[in-house]
Amino acid sequence: MNKKSLMRSLPVIPNLVWGIIFIVLPLVFVLYYAFTDFDGNFTFANIIGLSDYAQTFLLSVSMSVIATVICVLVAYPMAYFISKAGPQKGKILLFLVLIPMWINLLIRTYSMMAILDDEGFLNSILTALHMGTVRIVGTKGAVIFGIVYDFFPYMVLPIYTVMSKLDKSLIEASSDLGCSKIQTLFRVILPLTKSGIISGVTMVFVPSISTFYISQKLGGGTFDLIGDTIERQFSNPTTYNIGAAISLVMMVLILLSLFIMNKFAGDDTDEAKGGMMP
Amino acid sequence: MKKLVELKNISKEFDGELVLDNINLDIMDKEFVTLLGPSGCGKTTTLRIIGGFVTPDEGDVIFDGERINDLPPYKRQVNTVFQKYALFPHLNVFENVAFGLRLKKLPEKEINERVMNMLKTVALSGFERKNVTLLSGGQQQRVAIARALINEPRVLLLDEPLGALDLKLRKDMQNELKNIQKQTGITFIYVTHDQEEALSMSDIVVVMADGKIQQIGTPTDIYNEPVNAFVADFIGESNIVDGVMLEDKRVRFSGHTFDCLDGGFGKNEPVDVVVRPEDVDVVSEDKGMLKGVVTAITFKGVHYEIIVDIGGFKWMIQSTDYVDIDAKIGLYIEPDAIHIMKKSEYSGQFGDYSSFSEEFDELDVVPDEDGEEDADE
Repeated sequence: MNKKSLMRSLPVIPNLVWGIIFIVLPLVFVLYYAFTDFDGNFTFANIIGLSDYAQTFLLSVSMSVIATVICVLVAYPMAYFISKAGPQKGKILLFLVLIPMWINLLIRTYSMMAILDDEGFLNSILTALHMGTVRIVGTKGAVIFGIVYDFFPYMVLPIYTVMSKLDKSLIEASSDLGCSKIQTLFRVILPLTKSGIISGVTMVFVPSISTFYISQKLGGGTFDLIGDTIERQFSNPTTYNIGAAISLVMMVLILLSLFIMNKFAGDDTDEAKGGMMP
Repeated sequence: MKKLVELKNISKEFDGELVLDNINLDIMDKEFVTLLGPSGCGKTTTLRIIGGFVTPDEGDVIFDGERINDLPPYKRQVNTVFQKYALFPHLNVFENVAFGLRLKKLPEKEINERVMNMLKTVALSGFERKNVTLLSGGQQQRVAIARALINEPRVLLLDEPLGALDLKLRKDMQNELKNIQKQTGITFIYVTHDQEEALSMSDIVVVMADGKIQQIGTPTDIYNEPVNAFVADFIGESNIVDGVMLEDKRVRFSGHTFDCLDGGFGKNEPVDVVVRPEDVDVVSEDKGMLKGVVTAITFKGVHYEIIVDIGGFKWMIQSTDYVDIDAKIGLYIEPDAIHIMKKSEYSGQFGDYSSFSEEFDELDVVPDEDGEEDADE
């Protein structure tokens, strides 16, 4: 009798194998390294020692928060207008937003450097106009700008997807019931497109918090983000354990922040609002 | 009664296609007015112009004596029940209904009272906290009506509100809507393609076709005195034949001269003659004013539907008596069963039952889910 159920579970096996090799095992390794020293003895020293990196953590988190917020603020109206532009124009506009995604991140970052560097394109124009030069590369602003630039499409796409599915008659209904355009935005459009913002934030915040390449290039090596720190630990075999410990803490932090965000955002989507009645 | 809404010389084009062609319509306060017509006749566009979702290219929209062409929907004393309800999925039943009141920043206590009362009116007490997406079609419909009515609009616009409901529910909702309209005294403007719905609910029916108003009248007027072949065909079943008005109260068609009650036509003026299927009596061949051969007979429950070939023109007759196919029968028509209409652009297009089938009829009345809506964008 188990033959049938065996047959049914066969297709699951590849997924299972994949999951074990690429998800579970790496996690086990990270855990193992994080809680052992160089000789393989169990220790909390790696985790406790992380307090040295508190500044770097804080800097990474705050920079990716700022970059994510900028992404939302710019991407939301953009997604709105693309979804309003009609199918033909909308397709072209969306295409333009997505093109950068097809170009390698390194190349994009390098070209940003070429443009923003002290002797770069922008400054040579400014010099030619006798307006002096601006120092951009090497500042925190440049790194934030780089993060925004590199991850922007990941914010537009999910918001646009939700926005384009929004039933237009809901907007008409809102107007019919007395909402001005601004009120419609806050009372109807925003709550109904929140899920797009949440996926966008997840897709921008998570990779940007651990980015290392952008900060190295556009930061000009003047400061470290947590991604740079992790990278450095893993380029030296004697510090694997510390690298693993940082990664683990990062992972927990990200999970925690995603959990809080979902909790916070999911609050009034369900029946919780009925609570205002006796 | 005073005029509440006036449409004056309204025209509207979408992508070069004339959707409304010089519409003139007065709607009185406290009336139940139905805009009736087939897909693409412009009825929904007319409604959307009153609601403020479409701006007319030409003409004036007057509301209570004031021109409101450029007034946005949220400033009009008009609320709409949308075709697919358009309930807010992120809000529960209570909050959907309370939406308009919250915008007016009324005290919580008053909002609560009014919403609860309104939910009682539409028989949805106890559903306050339900998720609107989990309600049945009929329940969603009620929420949509409650959400609009709670704002106490001067005019309620209803765009095929019962289109998505099954027949039984539709009949119940028709009665309920009519009752609500009587109770509240709010002017209802109702759009439908269903002539039965229009006749049974309305004070005034406005029949539309091809972007023009064909006829405005009470349901009985529209049924008994259609102005042209289109209206006669669209409202109920009709045999529409070519005739000649010999003089007042004398008309000749299908090879026989009949007495009738209509007059005021020119001598020997060609006219369209309408005879309703239920107004024709089946008699023996020798007693008939017209003689024909039965080509089909269908049992309909209350009566038989008989198709009779009279000189190549197929008539539909409804009779409680059974006749055999291929039987030769006579038809007897009373003078008051004959209605004479002036010739119009619709003459000759309708009223012959030679290609009649139930399916054809169904195809005619498929609701215009998207056709008209898309045109409105």
